[in-house]
Amino acid sequence: MKIPLLLILNLAVVLLSISVGSSHYGFDEVYQILQGIADETTKAIILDYRLPRLILAMIVGASLSASGCSLQALFRNPLAEPYVLGIASGASMGAILSVILGFGVFGRILLAFFSAIMTAYLVFFIGSTRKFRDQSYAILLAGIAIASFLSGLNSLLLYLHSQSLHLVIFWLMGSFSNPQWEEVYFSLPFLIIGLSFLLATSWNLNALLLGDEHAKAVGINVDRYRAELIFFTSLLTSTAVAVSGVIGFVGIIIPHTVRLLIGEEHRQLLPATILLSTAFMPLVDVFARISSSGEIPVGAITAILGGPFFLYLLMRRGL
Amino acid sequence: MRLKVDKITVKLGSSEILKDLTIEAKKGDFIALLGPNGSGKSTLLRTIFGIIKPLKGVVFFDGKEEEKGYLPQETADTNLRVIEVVLLGRTPYLGRIKSPKEKDFEIAMDALRSVGMENFADRKFSELSGGEKQKVLLARLFAQEPKILLLDEPTAHLDISAQLEIMRIIKELAGDRIVIVALHDINLAISFANCILMIKDGRIAYAGSPRNVITEESIKEVFGVEVSVKRHGQIYVIPKIKSSINGRRVHVICGGGSGKELLHLLSTEGYSVSAGVLNALDSDWEIVSEIGGMIVDAPPFSEISEDAHQRNLEAIKNSEAVILADLSIGRGNLKNLISAKYASELGKLIVVDKTPFEERNFVGQEAEKIYSEILKNATVVKSEGDALNALRKLLSR
Repeated sequence: MKIPLLLILNLAVVLLSISVGSSHYGFDEVYQILQGIADETTKAIILDYRLPRLILAMIVGASLSASGCSLQALFRNPLAEPYVLGIASGASMGAILSVILGFGVFGRILLAFFSAIMTAYLVFFIGSTRKFRDQSYAILLAGIAIASFLSGLNSLLLYLHSQSLHLVIFWLMGSFSNPQWEEVYFSLPFLIIGLSFLLATSWNLNALLLGDEHAKAVGINVDRYRAELIFFTSLLTSTAVAVSGVIGFVGIIIPHTVRLLIGEEHRQLLPATILLSTAFMPLVDVFARISSSGEIPVGAITAILGGPFFLYLLMRRGL
Repeated sequence: MRLKVDKITVKLGSSEILKDLTIEAKKGDFIALLGPNGSGKSTLLRTIFGIIKPLKGVVFFDGKEEEKGYLPQETADTNLRVIEVVLLGRTPYLGRIKSPKEKDFEIAMDALRSVGMENFADRKFSELSGGEKQKVLLARLFAQEPKILLLDEPTAHLDISAQLEIMRIIKELAGDRIVIVALHDINLAISFANCILMIKDGRIAYAGSPRNVITEESIKEVFGVEVSVKRHGQIYVIPKIKSSINGRRVHVICGGGSGKELLHLLSTEGYSVSAGVLNALDSDWEIVSEIGGMIVDAPPFSEISEDAHQRNLEAIKNSEAVILADLSIGRGNLKNLISAKYASELGKLIVVDKTPFEERNFVGQEAEKIYSEILKNATVVKSEGDALNALRKLLSR
């Protein structure tokens, strides 16, 4: 019942997103393209700029929110999200290194991805040491510790190589301002693989909500599933970070909003979360590019929205 | 259907939790695991279920894996709806992409009905009370259609009525399944199980029917606490509370509720109390049991035997003071009056004389005569409070 509604919302956002921008190209031009009578400039702006930008925003939104939603169930912690696992800091480090080393876009993506996934596994490895009684918390705390360690290293790298500062800083703030089809081709397969896994195993997330023991009691191999889930959410998150930089809080805002609306059953929650985020992320991006003469980083907007939302969750749960 | 746990040794980290442990169970067995925290009850259940692999030995079960049902002790809170929680019990029967069918919903609803929670199907799990949650989890367990139930302290954190309700539901729905339940309440185990395994340090210390296994010695050995085990019809266990702060020993001759106030006063003041002769299950007998006092007792509703009388005199001899409560005297307890006379001769008797003796004398002249002799050598008071004052005076001499 909620899904068709969300699909209609997505369609509206798609139309809005390719019709609105800093240039005057709007619905008429989109219509011309559909009829096949548009000129080259129109095509370039809409098909090679706005369309990949829209798709990237959708990919990033879906990746981050689906990961956040799953990680919150896995850790039974409403504040868990991809960034808490330290993946963002790992990816940022890869990106900074690639800029210093003078890599191109593709190299940056690969290095960010590689560094992000290494970080996720380091966090997972440390957090799941037998020493800790509560591994869910141990992993989160390990994530926070490693994230702050890497942030420190990142600052140091930026300080030592201040000539490339501007490029990296803008990337770090998170935006879709330089969209390329190359990025779409690179990230789309990962998105499909990651989301397929999460959607296919969403039942397990329901079982995990009662506790690891209960999930084991109904026959789920929790240790293996946790490792798989961390792998695929890392894949999704690092893909998002690699193409768009650091866009925080999406993994918290969207899943919790949907939870409030339709409850916690993940076979419904997860698809609805994905569909809300594929509408939300391009919408924020539209706002980012039309609200001022330049561009506000999308990451800044989500952080401004996300901070208070985060606090709201804290207060509501009375932690 | 049979379960055999054959000489299993389980190691977690560097410590051996279970040592060479063997259990056999067959259809219809209701087994309670008793033991202090950390004795290995949970580990045993988890090993039988298959979460933990034993280092040595095997768990043999002649059924399918999914026919083992396991209810862990701790449950996280969730906003899943009740029916969604129960449906999780169907997990082993769903395909690779787990999606419940109409039949699974029916089985889940039936399970909810069997625990009396069908009207809660659409409620959020987190909004239920502790007992209701546990019933929903039992429904989850039964939706799995298990042949063996492994329950880890299903009554933990519940109030007494919920504890009984949960145990009743388990007993009722268990049918001829094998049930193995870890419990921390010995009396609950006695009431519901037909076999008790007492586990200590990863080994089975005692095994058998509640009547054979539950003794003061076995509980002292396994739990390290002093209890009294009462065997009047149903067996039950009462902890002995050692409250003798001031250590002075006082014997009370009472019965039929006449000692009620006195016994409580003495216990709160920290006296080490004994009483007798009391018929078992007399209301005074129960109070002395509660406060952990020593009782010289006789079978319910029977006359005081010579043997009990002698033990009573012994107790009087060993106490520093004796109080004769405002009790009624009949043929059955006339010997108590004789005991009181003995105490008066030793110069350590206090008599609570509230009700005129003729109103509580059902024996006649014989008792009358003994009582008047008692009064000559005793401190006579009119209330329990005064008795305590008199007691202090007597003991300070």
